[in-house]
Amino acid sequence: MENFASLMHGFGVALSTYHVALMMVGVLLGILVGVLPGLGAPNGVSLLLPLTFTMDPVAAIILLTSMYWGALFGGSTTSILFNIPGEPSSVATTFDGYPMARQGQATQALTLAFLSAGFGALVGVILITILSSWVAKFALRFSSPEYFAVYFLAFASFIGLGAASPFKTIVSMGLGFAFAAVGMDTVSGGLRLTYGFNELLSGISFLIAVIGLFGIGELIMTMEEGLRFDGIKARVKARDVFKTIGMLPRYWLTLLRSSAIGCWMGITPGGPTAASFMSYGIAKRLSRRKEAFGNGAPEGVVAPETADHAAGSSAILPMLALGVPGSATAAVMMGGLMIWGLNPGPMLFIERPDFVWGLIASMYLGNIVAVLIVLATIPLFASILRIPFAIIGPVIVIVCFIGAYTVAGRPFDLWLALSFGVAGYLFKKLDYPIAPLVLAMVLGDKAEDAFRQSMIMSRGSLSIFWSNGLVATLMVLGLALALGPLLSGTVGKLVRPKPTSAAV
Amino acid sequence: MISRFSAEIATATLTAGLGLAAVVGALEFGIGWGDAGPEPGAFPFYIGLLVVAASLVNLVQATVGREGLRSTFLDHEQAKRVASFFIPMVVFVIVARLLGLYVASALYLTFVMWFQGGYRILVSAASGVAAAVAFYFVLEYAFQVPILKGPLEAALGLY
Repeated sequence: MENFASLMHGFGVALSTYHVALMMVGVLLGILVGVLPGLGAPNGVSLLLPLTFTMDPVAAIILLTSMYWGALFGGSTTSILFNIPGEPSSVATTFDGYPMARQGQATQALTLAFLSAGFGALVGVILITILSSWVAKFALRFSSPEYFAVYFLAFASFIGLGAASPFKTIVSMGLGFAFAAVGMDTVSGGLRLTYGFNELLSGISFLIAVIGLFGIGELIMTMEEGLRFDGIKARVKARDVFKTIGMLPRYWLTLLRSSAIGCWMGITPGGPTAASFMSYGIAKRLSRRKEAFGNGAPEGVVAPETADHAAGSSAILPMLALGVPGSATAAVMMGGLMIWGLNPGPMLFIERPDFVWGLIASMYLGNIVAVLIVLATIPLFASILRIPFAIIGPVIVIVCFIGAYTVAGRPFDLWLALSFGVAGYLFKKLDYPIAPLVLAMVLGDKAEDAFRQSMIMSRGSLSIFWSNGLVATLMVLGLALALGPLLSGTVGKLVRPKPTSAAV
Repeated sequence: MISRFSAEIATATLTAGLGLAAVVGALEFGIGWGDAGPEPGAFPFYIGLLVVAASLVNLVQATVGREGLRSTFLDHEQAKRVASFFIPMVVFVIVARLLGLYVASALYLTFVMWFQGGYRILVSAASGVAAAVAFYFVLEYAFQVPILKGPLEAALGLY
């Protein structure tokens, strides 16, 4: 009940005209970046983040999370109407959403997608409400070795649970840590890895990396594929919307199952993309009408959408309570919290309860606002994709580079963003996962600090990571996750590398 | 035409190089035990080693599985499309460094619309300038975030 009182207090914080207006702005901007190719949720949040440095943290996080919800909705819209996933996490929605739209059921597909997404998000937020302060209280017992073990577990689960080759995941992650190490060393205060370049003195911002990897890289991909939008004209009719709402309870089992999958994948850093694919796969396997999947089965829209949003919102839980984000976008937001001077983790619940509960309350409101806005504005946003790419493409490029410049006001960052763009393009084409790199850049310093402090505590002995039950359990879990696929997969993969094409 | 195999090899070599750079850079700052615990270079050193090792595995995997990687990474048509997008973007960054982001944005949008979109030069130029002006008001007034400016803004006294 303590949580309930805190939540009510949070609603008091979130429910001001200013905050609700910010939610609407955030959702609209989010749908926009979700709809546009090359601008996704992580990238959109990165672009907006520098503009919020001067805002109050509560208002800023409401704006950014609302943008996140909006982007998730926007991504599903293009999946259904154009067969182009606006976000990697809405790829699975194209399998049945686009066939539904082609059969003249665009309104039903969109409404189903939005409502099940809203349902998934709500389940995620309820989970956060119930669990977060408990997790935070539990995490208060953590000291440096435990923190390092949690970070280790997070990265190990990328290796163990990710769809990509474990070695490619390690490369991507390691590069993230290496980039994070450039510049000032947070323990000794000295500079390192600058190779004599003044430009590297202040380090490499993770925001630049996200803008390059997700934004510019994605645009190069889009150009290479030769963009053609075969959109389906959609007019959202109120009558169809209500009819579809009536249909929704029929899919209660899919909804609940997909929410559970989504929440699990969101809390462990599997992320929304993996969650939506997994949920789609399971829904198909358990369905009595398997042949309908791929040809416009409503469950094929409900399952990935619910899981996608459940994962997206529950990814906030480990970010808030442990300081370990569950998705790339959550990682960017956590980086933002640190820039605003807030330290994500259990102490945040004690030091800034107004912030934490205001955020959680705003997630309830933000998702409801998002469902309403997205239903009302979809025809408008769908028409944006009819603008020729020769206009919209360069505008997105300009937005990305301006965004990169606003991070720190350094011209060098423009080159950096360009380089990350090329890297993002290569990584995407060759199935290197990008999310671990971003997560490593955000967590790099914290993970390293935790490691070094542990070493100081133990005078250089690694045995501290087995010194008590808690840390040992975490480490063993992490090792099992990290080494499992390496051991079982190495033999098979050395013989025959499989060209996976799953996007993360 | 670039095969998937050569792209895999090139990327793995590149990541190995970056890992090696981290290793070499870290050696300068000490990788052992100092007065305050592990020295600053230790963490990047081992991370660098990890990247090098994983890149080598990727290299080996690509070489061993060469048969499976015969597929095309980038064909002629795709390469042309990528280049036609990438080269103007590089020029945009160069121009932005020289003339500021607003002027570069106007020129870039004008060029792409005119050259690749097939719009008339006047329409393109008008759109370019309009976009730059819109960005100016949104950034400098609405968000009060100054961005990179060049000689034109200086001449107009826009600071």
